[in-house]
Amino acid sequence: MSLKTKLLLLVTISITASVGAVAWLIEERAHEAFRQVEQERTSALVNQFRREFEHAGDEITRGVDSIAGSEAMQRTLTELANGAEYANYVNEAASNAAAQRLDFLDLIAPDGAIISSAHWPARFGYKQRWFLDLPSPLPRQAFLKHVETPQGSVLAMLCFRTVAVHGLNYYLIGGRKLDTVVQSLSPPEGLRVAIFSVPEQGSGEMIGPGKETFNATKIMALIQKVLDKHAEDSVTVDLGQAQGNEEIVHAIPLPGYTDRVPAVLLVGNSLEQELLLEKRIRNISLVIAGVGVFIGVVVSGIVTARFSRPIKTLAQAATEIGHGNWDVRVETSGRDEIGKLAVAFNQMTEELMGQRERLVQSERVAAWRELARRLAHELKNPLFPLQITVENLLRARQNTPQDFDEVFQESTATLLAEIANLKTIIGRFSDFSKMPAPQIQAVDLNELVRSVAQLFQGQLNRDPGRIQPRLQLGDVPQVSADPVLLRRVIENLVLNAIDAMPQGGTLTFRTMTNSDDRFAVFELADTGAGLTAEECDRLFTPYYTTKQHGTGLGLAIAQSVISDHHGRITVSSKKEHGTTFHVELPVWDGVSTVEFGRGKS
Amino acid sequence: MKRLLLLLFAISSVALLTAGAYGGSRPRYGGTVRILLHDRVLSIDPLGDEDRPAARDRIAALAFENLTQVDAQGRLRPGLAVSWHADQAKRAWQFRLRLANFHDGTVLTAAEVAASLAKSNPAWKYSAIDRQTVSIETPYAVQQMAELLALPRYAIVKRQADGSNAPILIGTGSYKLNQWQAGEHAQFTANEDYWGGRPFADSIEFQMGSSVREQLMDRQLGTYAATELSIDQIRNVEQNNQTITMSRPADLLALVFLQPDSGGKSGRKPVDARVRQALGLTINRAAISNVIFQHKAIPASGLLPQWLTGYEFMFSGVTDINRAKELRADAAAFVVISPIALAYDFADPLARLAAERIAVDAREAGIVVQPYAESHLYSKAARGSMNADAVLLRVPLQSLDPSVALAARTDDLALSPESAPAILGATRPEDLLEIERKLLETNRVLPVAHVPQVLWLNSTAHNWQQELNGGWNLDQLWMEGAR
Repeated sequence: MSLKTKLLLLVTISITASVGAVAWLIEERAHEAFRQVEQERTSALVNQFRREFEHAGDEITRGVDSIAGSEAMQRTLTELANGAEYANYVNEAASNAAAQRLDFLDLIAPDGAIISSAHWPARFGYKQRWFLDLPSPLPRQAFLKHVETPQGSVLAMLCFRTVAVHGLNYYLIGGRKLDTVVQSLSPPEGLRVAIFSVPEQGSGEMIGPGKETFNATKIMALIQKVLDKHAEDSVTVDLGQAQGNEEIVHAIPLPGYTDRVPAVLLVGNSLEQELLLEKRIRNISLVIAGVGVFIGVVVSGIVTARFSRPIKTLAQAATEIGHGNWDVRVETSGRDEIGKLAVAFNQMTEELMGQRERLVQSERVAAWRELARRLAHELKNPLFPLQITVENLLRARQNTPQDFDEVFQESTATLLAEIANLKTIIGRFSDFSKMPAPQIQAVDLNELVRSVAQLFQGQLNRDPGRIQPRLQLGDVPQVSADPVLLRRVIENLVLNAIDAMPQGGTLTFRTMTNSDDRFAVFELADTGAGLTAEECDRLFTPYYTTKQHGTGLGLAIAQSVISDHHGRITVSSKKEHGTTFHVELPVWDGVSTVEFGRGKS
Repeated sequence: MKRLLLLLFAISSVALLTAGAYGGSRPRYGGTVRILLHDRVLSIDPLGDEDRPAARDRIAALAFENLTQVDAQGRLRPGLAVSWHADQAKRAWQFRLRLANFHDGTVLTAAEVAASLAKSNPAWKYSAIDRQTVSIETPYAVQQMAELLALPRYAIVKRQADGSNAPILIGTGSYKLNQWQAGEHAQFTANEDYWGGRPFADSIEFQMGSSVREQLMDRQLGTYAATELSIDQIRNVEQNNQTITMSRPADLLALVFLQPDSGGKSGRKPVDARVRQALGLTINRAAISNVIFQHKAIPASGLLPQWLTGYEFMFSGVTDINRAKELRADAAAFVVISPIALAYDFADPLARLAAERIAVDAREAGIVVQPYAESHLYSKAARGSMNADAVLLRVPLQSLDPSVALAARTDDLALSPESAPAILGATRPEDLLEIERKLLETNRVLPVAHVPQVLWLNSTAHNWQQELNGGWNLDQLWMEGAR
């Protein structure tokens, strides 16, 4: 990943993270504010319900009191107390309840038998004794209780009164359905209210204006919790897309006339507005983030381009230098760190150039010194016999003139031989400076190796110091090479190996392809004394030799030839474990008939 | 002397009062008798499947007559037939007709009578022996043929075709239909040529479908000569010292289970017999009779009232909740007991109360009864499409002859039509008892109460003759103050 991409990514992430963090903060604040508003709205509605509850209770109490205190009721009860037929008063409750707008009214005899029931006239004669068996008296004000009706159990606000006539207690129980109280509530938009009625027997049911909108199954756990703990609680309910996603449902227990909770007030507060706002904030954040990211990308692109271009130039320059192009220079614009870096780079490059020049110079001097030393050494060997021969000749002229002719004959022969030797030495040096250009063609490497091994068969079988050849030739393609030059290289390597194993050993010829199949590899491994790491480093240096009579040009020439073939020759060795030369040669591609340029001189 | 003068004054005063009283009670011709009906009658065809057959029969009795009739005391009287006799086997009857005219002026003939009766009961064979003699042959013995022919369904009606419309119904009664607005209003005018003599009133008008509130107002205004009353209104009316006429507890209030073979909706699963029996044991008939019907009704254990048959006490109508629970549990072991949908007459508040009471009582045994109102409870065709499992019917007592009454009642309740020959052929009360016992053992009908019919009469209406079973005979009705 480039520096520019990294910078872009970093900037994008930074902007996105920043915008996201801000959006989150706003959303959290809005969430808190909505919760507060929601609690206030719920609280207001619950208070309204309580007021309506008390108001309805007062009305019911007044209504029942009014019935109980009416002359008609007193007359009726007096007649009943005097033994009148209950049957004559079976409709008594209905008319009184209608007059007081009560949904329920029971006129009950002292023994608990229903004389008249407004809401269930057919229930006359049945006993109703629940109020007679209570441990404590019923409250004066209205209370919640389930009333049995033909349609089932109905939650009601009831008021209980005892009317004593002639020493007999008659009872009046009147009230209204609780859902009529709930109906009078006017919840603001987004709020829903209902009551979950919990009868003494059977399953509960939802009543009130919002009963259809509450999903009882989703809030049943909440209701049960409230019933168990007798304390209010709330839960967030997922309503799905159709009903505004989510709402908070508050459940408040409504007290009855005993410890048992007969009903639970449910206030649903829709989170639709909040969720809409959150969604809007989220959308705005996304837009801001998008715009921010876009601007950030553009700006950071410009900025990073400005910063990364000189760095890229520096990197390219470094790469060029790595490839050996020492003439590379970078533009030094600006006085910032990048500019200083470019200046430093250029200085470093110049320094490296200087050092390289100096190194080349020193190497050249060293090479010349070595050349001179070799040349002197090589020339000194034949010169010494020449000097001895001439001194012998002079001494013979002075001391034994009679033998001078004979000595002269012998000496001139020696002189000519040595001079010939000198010529040979000079010819070799001349050959090194005049390497021929390779004539590239397809060469069967295995065949070439096999023929070289065959050629040296006789030398390998010398005694003592017998060398065992071993051919490990792989399935290699033809290579692009000059067969004559390549043969000379391989022969040179074989000669070196033979020299390295005076006591005999194993000489392994190995061919293979390298990993990318672009090069064929020839390896020649001996089991000689091996080389040190320093010797390996200097092995291909011209005129460097480890042999007593070598010129030090063989491997240098071999390296030059292989280099002219666009190949590579390396050596790996370990002291006392032999040496292995690796030669990599390009595989024949069918068209490489061009003449490669000359190698290094 | 003074004493003599006082005596003469007293005698003359008594004479004047007597003369005045006689003059006040003497029938007067003329005037319109207005009657307020609670029900809405849609047709006066005695054979039509009417929603309100009892009210229809009362109205239709003004225009249509039968071969025989029953007077207010329940005695059989000649109607259009002046005499009749039967063979030994009581399977061939001959009725001698009186000279009478239909309202269209045509003479009543034996052929017309035979045609009318053939419509009423196609199972029998009718023929005109001569112009004035009708012969009826039945496949089984009919002991009480004369009483049977007094039933409203055997009214003699001439059906005159009227194109594609319903045929025009023409009778021979003392009044003839003058105006008819189905379900709203009917006006009958006096038949000047009536064989029994012109009735006193010029016309009789029926206003149908009145509410209790309208009845109360009309009673106070005195606009109507008579209105039907619900039993729960009696106490209020009596407290105002107004005239009430009440029949014997003749109507039967009964819970009838609908079955596919008895007019119920086909495909509906009938209520299990054990559950039916259990429900019958839960009903507190005394409470219904004493409280809902204010002691005016009597608990029913049979199809016919005790005062008519003398054997109703043989049937048990006691409440036995424990036995009902056992039966229900027994049934629950074999079948799924569903709630029983009980339809009651939406126009009858007391029927609603009774149905609810039945539901309350049934709860005691764990039987769920769900009462609901139906508007066409008495139409047999309508009952065939109802979703109800049972209906609470109030059926009139159509005859004061036990066997005829039982036959008519089984027909009204769609009970066992195959029992008709046995009923009509019964010669002893014991036979009827046994037949009724078998009918009740099926528990397809649960008798609840025998209920009277109540009528408020304006003090200006005279000679309103209400029969023991609640039927009206208005031939002698006259209105005080009429010209």
